[in-house]
Amino acid sequence: MIRARGLAKQYGGVAVLRGLDLNVRAGERVAVLGLNGAGKTTLIRCLLGLTEFAGELDVAGHDVRTSGLAARRAIGYVPQRPPHFDGTLRDIVAFFCRLRGLDAAAVHAQLEELGLAVTEHGDKHVRTLSGGMLQKTLLGLALGAQVDVLLLDEPTANLDAPARREFLRALRSTAADRTVLLATHRLADVEAVADRLLVLHEGRIAFAGRMRELWDAVGADVTLWIQVPPDRRGDVERHVAAQYATTTVLRNGSAFGVKIERTRRVDLLGELRTSGVTVEDFWTEAPSLHDLMDQLLATRPAGPEDRAE
Amino acid sequence: MTGARAALFVRRELAAALHARWFIVYAALFLIAGVLLTAFGMGNTMVYGYRGFAKAFAGLVHLALFLVPLMALFPSAASIADERESGVLEYLLAQPVSFGEVYAGKWGGINVAMVLALTIGFGAAGAVAVLRGVPLALVTIAYGFVLLLALAFVAVGLLLSSLAASRARALTFGVVLWFLLIALGTLGLMVVSIRWGMPQRALMVWTFVNPIEAFRIGVMSVLDPDLSLLGPIGVGLVERLGSTGTAVLAALSLVVWSVVPGLIGLRLFRSRV
Repeated sequence: MIRARGLAKQYGGVAVLRGLDLNVRAGERVAVLGLNGAGKTTLIRCLLGLTEFAGELDVAGHDVRTSGLAARRAIGYVPQRPPHFDGTLRDIVAFFCRLRGLDAAAVHAQLEELGLAVTEHGDKHVRTLSGGMLQKTLLGLALGAQVDVLLLDEPTANLDAPARREFLRALRSTAADRTVLLATHRLADVEAVADRLLVLHEGRIAFAGRMRELWDAVGADVTLWIQVPPDRRGDVERHVAAQYATTTVLRNGSAFGVKIERTRRVDLLGELRTSGVTVEDFWTEAPSLHDLMDQLLATRPAGPEDRAE
Repeated sequence: MTGARAALFVRRELAAALHARWFIVYAALFLIAGVLLTAFGMGNTMVYGYRGFAKAFAGLVHLALFLVPLMALFPSAASIADERESGVLEYLLAQPVSFGEVYAGKWGGINVAMVLALTIGFGAAGAVAVLRGVPLALVTIAYGFVLLLALAFVAVGLLLSSLAASRARALTFGVVLWFLLIALGTLGLMVVSIRWGMPQRALMVWTFVNPIEAFRIGVMSVLDPDLSLLGPIGVGLVERLGSTGTAVLAALSLVVWSVVPGLIGLRLFRSRV
């Protein structure tokens, strides 16, 4: 559904994409993960034909360079920041329905499924809607257009946690049969939406595979937070220091944070129970994207891996 | 490019203009100032006949000369830069539309809005002038020149809007350009000519290159066929081109200004989204 060969883009002599090969099959949900400046947004701008590029790029069988209109007809787009439209929700929906030749009733039904009934919110100026509602409006417009491909450029980046969860839930439930390319720097978004993951770093694909394969590849440590009675903290510190000498022990109020291999979390909790320490509470914190990238780049074999089939 | 999609963008731009304050303010400003100037400015001149009302009507022309370029520059210079900043432009271009359709829609929509605003404003002033004895044909020709001046600065504004990185910069460029073109009008060039000896031929060429001067010369050559109101440059133009030739050349200059900057803007627009 999406095919790139040797996709490259420079801005002012600085290479942002460095010859990517990419294949996303119909119905696949792929996340493009990367730090700021990795090339995620540039990849999406290339797919939308908003910028010139080198190499080949097809969407739904249409060459983006020579058949841009046909390619964009197959694409629904949700940007990072919702555009500041001027008008009511009803006006905006009506305009985009006319522009794309859509059945307004179908789009209204789609918006209602996303919790945005036009009968209820239609007369509200779009600038009075929350960020989450705006993003869902754009998602509704894209889904109502019956597009084959959804391009989402960090759609949850400016949403608070509840709005983010709500948007991802809506995306999962309504876009099940679409091809999705989600650019993000949030691991949680990847785990919530994607079947497959591409990690972009400095315009190259640093990893392509499933999320679990990424964890396996990098052996990324997680932080296991443990809460124990105050009189047993010393025992826990000594145990961790003796058994997990290379890990880092963090403190946050009454809780200990132990950086540990993902697979060894259960071992540590078992050891503490055996030694008679009552664990009052525990939780796991995933590594940050920066940590993950550091570990990925450290474990990655020399030479670029720019094919993502 | 399909006409239907471009027409949709024209309607969108027109609706935005009618909804915006600038449209109402400009139309009202031009209407009030134009009517007052025409009604009271002509009060004591009718006894002098044709040349008398020409001088009085020249007041309206000079109002247009200062006001119309700004009226046209503000909405057009803001249009693309504003939507680029707000993310609307990128979202529009992510739809199955071409760059040309979006640009043509903006261009057409702002042009239609300007024509409406000026028809209301200049129309009322012109009606007062006709009622007070100015021939309808002269008012119509002057109205045509006012429209051409507006269309020329809409095209310039779109060029600046495509070029500038932000709305504020586009508007600043617009005001600076307007000021320079006003400052480098006939009066400024005569100062240059006297101080540094600029040849009269160069002054005449500049008169047609500067759209504000082209407008002034064009309208005045109709109102005052010997162009004596414009001093030696006016007289020189009439001697070389005749009053009709001067008017036609001025109109042609404005037509070129109404098209060429807009087309350059389109080229820049494609590369600066």
